[in-house]
Amino acid sequence: MRTPVFFLVALLAFVPLAEAKKAPVSVKKLPASAQGAVQAKEVSLVRVNVTGQPYDYFRPWQKKAPFSKRALGAVLPHDRVLVTADLVANQNYVELERAESGEKTAASVVVVDYEANLALIEPTDKNFLKGLQPLELALDTVVGDRLAAWQLESTGALVVTEGIVTTIGITRYPADVADFLTYRLSIPMQYRDNSYTVPLVKNNKLAALLLRYDPRSQVLDAIPAPIIAHFLKDATGAKYQGFPSLGIAFFPTRDPQLRAYAGEESKTGGVYITSVEPGLPAAKAGLLPGDIVTAVEDHNIDQNGNYVDSLYGKLGFSNLLTAKAYVGDTIALHVLRAGKPLTLNVKLEHRGEEDYVIPPYNIDDPPSYYVLGGLIFQELTRQYLKEWGNNWEKDAPQDFVYLDKYQSELFPEGNQRVVILSQVLPANSTIGYDDFSYLVVKKVNDKEIRSLADLAEAVKTPLNGFHVIQTVDDPKQLELDATEVAAESDALQKNYGLPALQRLD
Amino acid sequence: MHHLRFLTCALALFIAAGTQAQPNGQIQASLVRITSTEVEPDYRAPWNSGSIGRGVGAGFVIDGQRILTNAHVVSNSRYLTVEREGDPNKYPATVEFVAHDCDLALLQVASPTFWKNMKPLGFGGIPALESTVSAYGYPIGGERMSVTTGIVSRIDFSLYTHSAIDSHLAIQISAQINPGNSGGPVMQSAKVVGVAFQGYSGDIAQGVAYMIPTPVIRRFLKDIEDGHYDRYVDLGITYTKLQNPAQRHFLGLNDDDRGVLVGTVIEAGPCGKILQKGDVLLAVDGHPIASDAFVEFEGERVQMPEVVERKFKGDTVKLDLLRNRQPMSVDITLGTVWPYFMQAHSYDVRPRYVVYGGLLFQPMSLDLLQAYRINDLRVRHYFDFFVTDQLYLQHPEVVILTNILPDPINTYLLPYRSSIVDEINGKKIGTLQDLARAFEQPVDRFVVKMVGDGPPLVLNPKEVESARERIKTRYNVLQEQNLDEQPPAKPAVAAKDNI
Repeated sequence: MRTPVFFLVALLAFVPLAEAKKAPVSVKKLPASAQGAVQAKEVSLVRVNVTGQPYDYFRPWQKKAPFSKRALGAVLPHDRVLVTADLVANQNYVELERAESGEKTAASVVVVDYEANLALIEPTDKNFLKGLQPLELALDTVVGDRLAAWQLESTGALVVTEGIVTTIGITRYPADVADFLTYRLSIPMQYRDNSYTVPLVKNNKLAALLLRYDPRSQVLDAIPAPIIAHFLKDATGAKYQGFPSLGIAFFPTRDPQLRAYAGEESKTGGVYITSVEPGLPAAKAGLLPGDIVTAVEDHNIDQNGNYVDSLYGKLGFSNLLTAKAYVGDTIALHVLRAGKPLTLNVKLEHRGEEDYVIPPYNIDDPPSYYVLGGLIFQELTRQYLKEWGNNWEKDAPQDFVYLDKYQSELFPEGNQRVVILSQVLPANSTIGYDDFSYLVVKKVNDKEIRSLADLAEAVKTPLNGFHVIQTVDDPKQLELDATEVAAESDALQKNYGLPALQRLD
Repeated sequence: MHHLRFLTCALALFIAAGTQAQPNGQIQASLVRITSTEVEPDYRAPWNSGSIGRGVGAGFVIDGQRILTNAHVVSNSRYLTVEREGDPNKYPATVEFVAHDCDLALLQVASPTFWKNMKPLGFGGIPALESTVSAYGYPIGGERMSVTTGIVSRIDFSLYTHSAIDSHLAIQISAQINPGNSGGPVMQSAKVVGVAFQGYSGDIAQGVAYMIPTPVIRRFLKDIEDGHYDRYVDLGITYTKLQNPAQRHFLGLNDDDRGVLVGTVIEAGPCGKILQKGDVLLAVDGHPIASDAFVEFEGERVQMPEVVERKFKGDTVKLDLLRNRQPMSVDITLGTVWPYFMQAHSYDVRPRYVVYGGLLFQPMSLDLLQAYRINDLRVRHYFDFFVTDQLYLQHPEVVILTNILPDPINTYLLPYRSSIVDEINGKKIGTLQDLARAFEQPVDRFVVKMVGDGPPLVLNPKEVESARERIKTRYNVLQEQNLDEQPPAKPAVAAKDNI
């Protein structure tokens, strides 16, 4: 769900790499009797060591150098360990380590949800977690509660830092796909090598997991237990479904002129629907742009898009469709259309990253590519744009960023990919083309290109011995000699050390 | 722009050994110091007259009792004075012609006293690489003439930063040039070989300064002979080199290293409806075009546009080309390409705007985006692709809701800021004029649709009317709209089909 009202979350995630040398200034240990702390022997934490190796989207045939992350995992019932998804992103090898003994075992990722930033891992040795007390969930955290962040000393002893929950609201999660319930805490936490997954505990129950922390303002955002519970319940099913998504964008109806225009004469609530993505649940149920959604099930929605939650008070209504609803549920949307009330029953679905024209994330799967005589073709993904670094929205080619940001407007029918000519490896067949890069491909050999598979198919039939590539922007067209391309391909592959000239899905 | 700045570093003193005659003659009798009081428009409060500043530059006397200087020395000026060496008087001057696209201007001085004993300078040609030149002017605002020397380092097409979009021939020299040198002559063998005009700030590159060479100056002086400056003309196309053997073979070209491939033909330009995407240009006015887009012209190897650069509005250029492997020839009547002007700095104009219900609407331009530092991705896209994606066909002007003067009637409208107006009550808004007219319609409600998927902005004309005086007074809006001080850009008359 997209909303034009932005929450600017200027918090930084911990930088977990190679910074372990920064020694904590002071360590405040709470006495064992303090809230949240338990005996080290029973600490429900294990260390999780992950070696990750992301793909290199600039050289899509290879992976970047491996690097290791060290974190904590919360031990849950059924011998499972909960961590954040970004810890295990692009992992090659995961192991669990008993904090008090240093004993290790290999582990595997059972379920991962990059949108909610949660993952479950399982030790190979089923007895490995014996003696550790599994954590139950504390679902009743409210503003004003004190939560304890659990970290570990190198000896395995527990370090407990207390913070207070200042805000509970809906914020955008790091995958930048959806907004979820978030706890915000004020907490003076120290930097440790295990800051990837820091459990936040209330009365010895798991209340949240660290999402991001800004050491300067000492503000911590956490993935709350209700989201974790949703994830765990979903994970017990045969197939993990993910969180539902309606496929709408909305706008507050505070402006009386807009309300009058939309046929809402009373002064009650509702949000103005600005767009409905074709093929997604809201569109399937018949919701239209210009509708005013006044209630979800029996929860009225105010002019800003909030409902009154029994636990938290006013909260963004998307919580009703994420934390409180599951894929397959049917929920009632109460709508005003041109002043007339209407009820639409929406069957909830999850929108996977593959359901976008430009996928918002692409983790663990290798990027596809196709090399044709030194021209490298790829599908445009946000993962590719993120290769430009933290400032990618400014630094990446701006027409690509534009395509990504406005993809639902620009490709209303969806059901395609954007194929780009990302770069050119100089070769005999590409002389004079060296400077071309970042071009959107329109046609190859007179066939419309809507995916890399289309391109692979199109190059099978050159036109009179030429591969004819048409691009949206200049040069608009470039041609290759099909015979020369075929003759040169082995040499090209060897010369640039390409393991293969193509990788399709 | 050229405020006096004091250098904080210590100045080393060099004592001249012996006396040497000035190799370029008595430049003092030709050089003038120009002081300009300028008013820079305020795009964020466009009803205001703007901020007043003062700058110092140089200029020199040429034939016909005229003073040549840079356009940027006199841009936006409200009052100009010139001074001569050894004369305590300041003489009022006026701008006779100004060419912002090549950064040149001609000034007039009415006082006969000023012209007494002033000697016009003559022009030379393009100085040889590595030959020595001398630059004269008033760097960092000093009152006495300064001379620096250097050599000719490079002769190439360069961006003229005054307009920010024009590239012409420019000569890079190693003489020190600083603010205040602008407009001053660069001499060799007692002839002007250039006008000093731009350089880099010290932290980017040092010893790199640029002068406007005499072909550009001569073109300017010829253009104004009819009493009007018509600007540079342009073909209004993009093209790429044709160096790939397979591509050449595909296009049916000979193995003769000739030809460039037409990419985009700007419809509003002189080649609109005449050239097509995919045409291969082989010769311009009979000069063969090499596959790297260079031509042999007047004994030099220059980039293809240089041939067009020397021509004037209404002149024709003959293009030989290959279309679908068939040779053909077309005559292009040259003119300007108006959509480009939006991407250039503008000078000597008052910003155009409409205030309605406290909402400030302004047409997109380089100066506007810089004044507001708009980072909105959609607005930047409309700016960058305005010409090449021919967005101007739908939106000759891109009207942006740039600011909101808060009032109870618009208090919920802040999220609409930086949006582009698409339609009002179902009517497309292509210009600021369209918007002003739409708001004059007697209706009960204005529904303003913005570009993109956002909600419409809805205004009640009765409420707007009731708030009108209140908003005007509260924000000191001296005038609610300015539509006419610069006529709205109009599509050029369609080029005659003369194939």
